[in-house]
Amino acid sequence: MDNKEFYIGWMPAAPASFAKHIRKVILILTALIITAGILLAVQQKKFSTASFEFGQLTEITGVYQQFPVPSIKVMTGRDAYGHFSYITVPLVGYGKFGAESTIVELEKEKNTSLDKKLVTFRGTLLYSDGKTLLQIDNTDKPLMQVSETTENILPMVKEIGTVQLTGEVLDPKCYFGVMKPGQGKPHRDCAVRCIAGGMSPVFYVRNEKGEANYYLILDANGKKMNEQLKDIVAEPISLQARAVQYDDWVVLYVDSPDKIKRTGGFSWFKIKDGDTYCGSPHIVNGSN
Amino acid sequence: MSASYAAVGWNKQKKIYDWLIACLCFIYLLLFISVTLIINEQATFETLLIRSTSTLAVLLLHIILAIGPLCRLNKKFLPLLYNRRHLGVTMFTFALVHGSFSLFQFHALSNTNPIISLFTSNTNFGSLAAFPFQVLGLFALIIFFLMAITSHDFWLHNLSPKVWKTLHMFVYLAYILVVMHVMLGVIQYENDPVFVIMIFAGAITLVILHLLAGSKERKLDNMKFALQREGFVYVCPVAEIEDSRAKIFYIDKERIAVYRHNNKLYAIHNVCKHQGGPLGEGKILDGCITCPWHGYQYLPHNGQSPPPFKEKVSTYDVKIIDGKVWLNPAPFAEGTERPGAEIK
Repeated sequence: MDNKEFYIGWMPAAPASFAKHIRKVILILTALIITAGILLAVQQKKFSTASFEFGQLTEITGVYQQFPVPSIKVMTGRDAYGHFSYITVPLVGYGKFGAESTIVELEKEKNTSLDKKLVTFRGTLLYSDGKTLLQIDNTDKPLMQVSETTENILPMVKEIGTVQLTGEVLDPKCYFGVMKPGQGKPHRDCAVRCIAGGMSPVFYVRNEKGEANYYLILDANGKKMNEQLKDIVAEPISLQARAVQYDDWVVLYVDSPDKIKRTGGFSWFKIKDGDTYCGSPHIVNGSN
Repeated sequence: MSASYAAVGWNKQKKIYDWLIACLCFIYLLLFISVTLIINEQATFETLLIRSTSTLAVLLLHIILAIGPLCRLNKKFLPLLYNRRHLGVTMFTFALVHGSFSLFQFHALSNTNPIISLFTSNTNFGSLAAFPFQVLGLFALIIFFLMAITSHDFWLHNLSPKVWKTLHMFVYLAYILVVMHVMLGVIQYENDPVFVIMIFAGAITLVILHLLAGSKERKLDNMKFALQREGFVYVCPVAEIEDSRAKIFYIDKERIAVYRHNNKLYAIHNVCKHQGGPLGEGKILDGCITCPWHGYQYLPHNGQSPPPFKEKVSTYDVKIIDGKVWLNPAPFAEGTERPGAEIK
C-alpha cells in the first residue's frame, strides 16, 4: 500500500486504492446477499395448502355436539347405501382459545344447552387436508339460530382397538389454517398456548407414503387431557391408546400419561420427516 | 470527530455507506420474499415477515462481525469499519421486527401475558431437542438493543471507552445465542441441510478470521526486547520507521506507538480514546496522529487532541543512540508533553 494513502471516514472521498478495493467488496457482498436470499427462500420446507378465511364470515347449520369435542355435525348428503353422511366441524375460539367459553356464554345468553340441538353458527372457516374447522367469536354474534328440541342423530361408532402410534400433538387451529408452519419446533410455544387455552389437541400421524391421519385425544374417561399434553406438543411422540371412530374423526383414549413417550431427538440433518418420526398406525389389539 | 453531539454527523461517505446498506437490505428482502412467493405460494404475510427479517439480521450480523478482523488483516477494509454502527443499528432493527412480530404471533391473544408466556410456555431447559429457543433469541435481542441505544458517541464518552467497549464485546455472546436460537429452533423443523451448512460456514469463517487477526496481533505481542539500559529498551533501527507513520511495540503489557514526524520520533500509547483503535496504524495528517478507525487526532508531542477536543493519551520518552531507537515503557500522565528524539 502506498504510504501516502490513508483512509479517514470524515474526508470527502476515500483514497483511490481503498475505493477500488471497497467496490470489489461491495460486488462480493451483493453476490453473497443475492445467493443467500435465493438459497434460503428456495430451500424452505413447502408450506401447506391450509386456509383461514380471515375477515370472511360463513354460516354453517348442523347439530352441535359437546362430545368428543365441541363441534357441529353437518349433513353432507347420502352415501352409496342411502345413509345420511356427515362431516364433523370442530369449533375453535378467537385467538389461542378453545370454543368452550364462547359456547358457555351463548348457552347462558339463550338459557339453554346447545348440545344435540340444530344450530346455525356464523364464524370463520379453516380447512386443510380434508378437515374443516370453524372459529366462533363473540364479537361476530356467532349463534344465528338454535332449535327448541334436540336431534336424535347417533354417530357412526366403530371400535378400532388398541393402537400404537407415532406422531406429533398439534393445535388444530394453527395447523389447519392460521399459521404456516402450524407445527414443529418453531411453532411449539404457540401450540402450547393454544392447547393451554382449551383448544382440542389433534394427534398428527403420517405413514411411509406421506399420507396424514388426524386423531382427537381424550383420556380414558373421555375428558380433555390438555394439561398433560401441552408440554409434549410439537415434538415426535409415541402413544398407546384405545381408538374409536366417531363418524369422520377417530378418538384416541389414552389411559394414562405413562402411555405417551417422547421419541424425538436432534434433527439437524434429517432428509425426510419420516426418518425421524411419523410411522404407520400399528394395531396392538384390534377388534375388527 | 466532532466537538459536540449530533444525532448523526453526516458526511458524504456516511451517506454512501447508508445508501449501500439500504440497497443491499432491499435487494435481500425483495429476493427472499419474491422467490418464496414464486416457489412456495402458500406462504403467509406473517411467515414472510418473520423469516425475511430474521435471515437478513443473521446475515448482517455475520458481516458486522467479519469487518473487525478483516480490517486487522487488511487496512483496505477500513471504509467498512468507519460506519459499522449504522450497520449494527440496521441489524438490530430487523432483529427487533422479527422478535416483536414473533412474540405477537406465537404468544399474543392467549390466556397469558406474551412476555410471561415466552418464559413459561416451554420450560424444557434440560432437553436440547425441546429447548426453549425463543428465550435465547430474546436475550440476544436485549444485547443488540443495549448496543444499539449506546452506539452513539454520547454514550461512548459518558460510559467511558472501557465500559462501552466491554458492553459492545457482548456482541460475541449475542452471536452465540443467535446461532443456538437458530440451531435449536427453525433448523429442528426444516429438512434441507443447507441451513445447517450455512450457519456452520458462517461461524467457521468468523472463527478463522478472528484467529488470523489474533495471530497477527500475537506476533507483535511476542516481540522480545533483550537490550535494556537505564529503563530504556532497544526496539528497532530508526530507518524502520517511515515518515508520518509509526511502529508499534508491546512492552510491559502495553502497546506503544513510536511515530516519525518532522525528523523527530515521538512515542504515545497505542490505544485511541474513542473506540480503542490502534493509533500506531494511523498516519500523521496536518501535524496530528490520526486514528485509522474513525479519524480521531492527537498531537505527537503531548498526546492531546487539538482544541477544542479533549481526548488525551499517555506519552513516553524515546531516544536515538547510533541510529537505534530506545524506548522507555514507563508512561507519563495522559497529555504530558515530551520533547521527542531528534533524528540526526
